[in-house]
Amino acid sequence: MSVTKRNDAGAAPSVSLTDLFDEKSGTISPAIYADPQLYELELERVFSRSWLFIAHETHIPKAGDYLATYMAEDPVIAVRQKDGGVKVFLNQCRHRGMKICRTDGGNAKAFTCTYHGWAYDIGGNLVQVPLEQQSFACLDKKQWGARQARVDSYKGLIFATWNMDAPTLSDYLGDAKSYLDLILDRSEGGTEAIGGIVKWVIPCNWKFAAEQFCSDMYHGATSHMSPMMAASPDTLPGDPTDFSGRQFRASRGGHGTGFFVEGAEWLWRVGQAGEHVSGFDIAAAEQRTNLHRSGKRPVGFSQHMTVFPNFSIFAGANTARVWHPRGPGEIEVWAFGLVDKAASDAEKEQMRLMTLRTFSAAGTWEQDDGENWVEVQRVLRGHEARRTLFNAQMGAGAPRGEDPTFPETITNAFAEEAARGFYAHWQKLMTDVDGSFSKAGSYADAAE
Amino acid sequence: MAFVRVCSEDEVAPGEALRTESAAGPVALFNVDGEFFAIEDTCSHGQWSLSDGYLTGDQIECTLHMAKFCVRTGKACSLPATKAVKVFPVQRQGCDVLIDFEDGHFAA
Repeated sequence: MSVTKRNDAGAAPSVSLTDLFDEKSGTISPAIYADPQLYELELERVFSRSWLFIAHETHIPKAGDYLATYMAEDPVIAVRQKDGGVKVFLNQCRHRGMKICRTDGGNAKAFTCTYHGWAYDIGGNLVQVPLEQQSFACLDKKQWGARQARVDSYKGLIFATWNMDAPTLSDYLGDAKSYLDLILDRSEGGTEAIGGIVKWVIPCNWKFAAEQFCSDMYHGATSHMSPMMAASPDTLPGDPTDFSGRQFRASRGGHGTGFFVEGAEWLWRVGQAGEHVSGFDIAAAEQRTNLHRSGKRPVGFSQHMTVFPNFSIFAGANTARVWHPRGPGEIEVWAFGLVDKAASDAEKEQMRLMTLRTFSAAGTWEQDDGENWVEVQRVLRGHEARRTLFNAQMGAGAPRGEDPTFPETITNAFAEEAARGFYAHWQKLMTDVDGSFSKAGSYADAAE
Repeated sequence: MAFVRVCSEDEVAPGEALRTESAAGPVALFNVDGEFFAIEDTCSHGQWSLSDGYLTGDQIECTLHMAKFCVRTGKACSLPATKAVKVFPVQRQGCDVLIDFEDGHFAA
């Protein structure tokens, strides 16, 4: 593990930043999930320097359509502009900091602060200040617009960052783009969001969720045994540990995914609860992406993926979500259904139901996962538990890149290679005092 | 056919199990309400001793990962196990329980 800079004196977490994750020994310090000072540092060095997911294009299709969401703890508003672009700005009045938008979403002509009445247009520009003539000597309203984030999008997904020196979103996603394409570009017209955004709060650190979606196929056979059994009431399902799959660790950026390529077809049953779901799935979709051209593709209810730091997708369950951090020990999960635009209405409805049954607030699989994350977090209230290292050695040393069809993968879905990539990138950000690692130039050079 | 005496019936109470070594590997003998059944003792999932498990009716649940097997047929009844274990013929002679270790087989 190479660390460029040590912790500065300003923040003084109770453990050394260079010892939090050790790639060589495959160990994680549990302090990273529980230490409040580390969390404060994460807000600065991880979240304010990375591209963060904001919304799907179809959440805000028309001019004035907006979504009030968050970039980590910072409330922001994403608004479709009249020129078709999207602006993302801090949902904070520049006068005394009240939210300038207090609803979840809709269509607006302007945003007026409910405290003293400062009013902003849909681009976040300050356009009207009550008593301006009478009581302000000279207020330059141009200087007092809402704080703007930098916005970019990839195949329907809108991201934003506070890091004006960050690489483009395309460079940031890097070689993870081809794996995102398996989901976003698997059929003509791409994807759309359906239904509302389902939101829930659970007491666990954001990294448990983000890391699991990045890397963890391993837990399935133990944690999700019950819904697998329930989906096959008459016969015993196949052995999920027999499936052949791949795991991808982004060459830089901390992104990761994993999926099965053979044997997993029966997993489709798990979300269907006995009903027949149409054939509109990955296998039936046109082979559009580079990874599909060879004829190989992920199959069944299988592809998990995290775009660093906190945006995750589970392809088979048609769910996309953000793990908004709320302190070291809590997250707000914001999840929505992601379906193929080209699917019929009946097919979209089946996908929606499948999402609700599996990965949603009341989804059977979701609750299995939440139970684990919340319980681990509770364990970490213990002083001794917080200083007892975790094992992240699974699949260490496995060669990457042996399968030309799936670049940068190891030929085993059951591994923690992507998790190690996630934490290696996280640690580089956390130890980067001046933010130089997150700048476009150094980013492109630094393989992890 | 080579039945071998394993124990007397009062050595294995109803709901209990007895592990015994044989040339065919370890075998678990179960008492299901006075009926005796024998299957391979090693769980087909996690290589653990089934005689150490919890017997409910005619199903034995492995103590490590909760895989279940029918002790009459050896068939897997619950994930994470998916492969059956062999069954062995059992005979009673008076108070003795005998197992034919040479005839371990997968039930049809």
